[in-house]
Amino acid sequence: METMETKLIDVQEVYKIYNEDEENEVRALDGVSLEIGRGEFVAIVGASGSGKSTLMNILGCLDVPTYGEYYLDGHDVTTLTDQELSRIRNREIGFIFQGYNLIPGLNAVENVELPLIYQGVRGDKRRDMAMEALERVGLEDRYDRRPSQLSGGQQQRIAVARAIAAQTPIIMADEPTGALDSKTGEHVLQILHDLNKQVGTTIILITHDIKIAKTARRIVQISDGNIIQDCPREEAVF
Amino acid sequence: MNLRQSFKMSMQSLMSNKGRAFLTMLGIIIGVAAVMIMVSVVQGQNKAMKEYYEAQGTNKITISASTYNGMDLTEDIYKYCLSLSDYVSGVTPNGMAYINSVKYMSANTQNNQNMGSPNIYLGSDQFSICNNYKLAQGRDLSYLDIKRYNKVIVLGSKLKEYLFQAQDPIGKYVALDSQYFKVVGVYAPIGGDSNSEMASSYDYLNYVGVIPYSTSRFLSRGYSSFSEFTVKAKNAEAVTMAITQINGFLSGKINQNNGYFYVNSPNTWQQESNKQNTMMSLVLGGIAGISLLVGGIGIMNIMLVTVTERTREIGIRKAIGGSRRSIITQFLIEACVLCGVGGFLGVVIGFLGTVIAGKLLMKMFLLPSLPMTLGAVAFSVLMGVGFGMYPAVKASGLQPVEALRAD
Repeated sequence: METMETKLIDVQEVYKIYNEDEENEVRALDGVSLEIGRGEFVAIVGASGSGKSTLMNILGCLDVPTYGEYYLDGHDVTTLTDQELSRIRNREIGFIFQGYNLIPGLNAVENVELPLIYQGVRGDKRRDMAMEALERVGLEDRYDRRPSQLSGGQQQRIAVARAIAAQTPIIMADEPTGALDSKTGEHVLQILHDLNKQVGTTIILITHDIKIAKTARRIVQISDGNIIQDCPREEAVF
Repeated sequence: MNLRQSFKMSMQSLMSNKGRAFLTMLGIIIGVAAVMIMVSVVQGQNKAMKEYYEAQGTNKITISASTYNGMDLTEDIYKYCLSLSDYVSGVTPNGMAYINSVKYMSANTQNNQNMGSPNIYLGSDQFSICNNYKLAQGRDLSYLDIKRYNKVIVLGSKLKEYLFQAQDPIGKYVALDSQYFKVVGVYAPIGGDSNSEMASSYDYLNYVGVIPYSTSRFLSRGYSSFSEFTVKAKNAEAVTMAITQINGFLSGKINQNNGYFYVNSPNTWQQESNKQNTMMSLVLGGIAGISLLVGGIGIMNIMLVTVTERTREIGIRKAIGGSRRSIITQFLIEACVLCGVGGFLGVVIGFLGTVIAGKLLMKMFLLPSLPMTLGAVAFSVLMGVGFGMYPAVKASGLQPVEALRAD
């Protein structure tokens, strides 16, 4: 096990407050502290509106906390510039969004290549890496299709391929199986588990589905912006 | 992210949204081309009109006077005008002889498919001064020719060319219908550059001949008196003075009961037509300006309509590692390529359009005006780049999650 200093993700007393000090103040995160080590497979589970997506956005540097500290691999994220944050989102964290978030004008392989372009990977090598990632999700024969020509499940697998291709040490997945039938959902989960086992990628899985959460080794349950349970899946109580 | 990759990404983005790219470019193309063509056509027309007037000589006065009782005023008017020597440098009756054909050997103007019959003028020894003809060869009509009813003729360059080709015509005789006239001189071509603007109109000014007005009596359908005169004034101010004097003289001879007269100057027509052309320039310039504006609004529309889509795209790009700078660079390159290509195509189409419009409408070689072209391109490119950059500037500063939420 890792020691404190080498924790990959270290979040201390993080708040995300909308409309602060106004009548309609919303505390999406109300003082959350969380540590995640390298190679973990963590499920963040909670009902809709519990703040789990907000937490992921902050963990993924897609949003900034109102208060609190966030150290990623020992670096204080709140002090980083736009350039440095971009670099982290590009090389450290891969995202799989609930709504796929593919660029509609680009075909499958171009979408998968996108993070690689920002990484500066060139030409054939980039195409090879993207095709490899597409193979991994079983969509190599659809590489030239636009997102609109693919089913929801296929689009989500393209989004998974995009996260895989970037070869980031962390992958965050927000309800990755939410819009999928159970068989495709299992396939996507299997890919994440394989990555975790084979490559050692740290996986953070956000879900409302306890069944899916239970496939993770560690479960963090969140409710009304607070962590109410954080334990290995064997000990989790719902 | 380096420039090369930004460029690659811009091109990828453009190629994947051909419809949007095309519509944006269309706005620029139409705006630029419309301004170029319209403004050039008007400018060309102005220039051609001016040259055409100038070729026939400026500061001319036309007198038309007729009496109902057949009173012959020819000599009176002629002499009076000559007496105004402070203002007038030449006077000639302005009559056209009714001639069916002019012949020399086998050359007969009746067989000239292109030009038909030439205009044969009955003029004085000052005909060339009044109408801006310069002698190229031989001599001009003289006072004695008129006095002695000499059957002599001075040919315009086109008529000489048709009848004599390369031969020397001086001293040879041409037949005006049944009457033989001796060629004493040839005028130089007027209209300068004969292969360009309004060339065919100039041809008609050179497809002429002049005979002494007194020889009208030999022609089967001659004049006994002349009602039209052309007076050449010394300068623009003299035109006004001479017109006043001649009007005074004629109103002493002719009144409403026994005839009519008018004294006019192409100078005033010229001024009129200049005014009209300026009006036309303003109107067409306005239309062109509006098309430019509409093109600009088209660009703006396309760009703004896609802001939501593009804001989401920017969110995605930021989420997977695009920095603010790289995204702005990408959008800037995209806008520049669009506007550059659009502007270039607009200039090419405007250029071709101007040349074609010049050929079709005015039979002249027109070139677009440089400042207009530059202005139109600058305006369109500014619109394109400005609105192309707008979503990038607006959205790339947001947190990625905010941009992703755009709808």
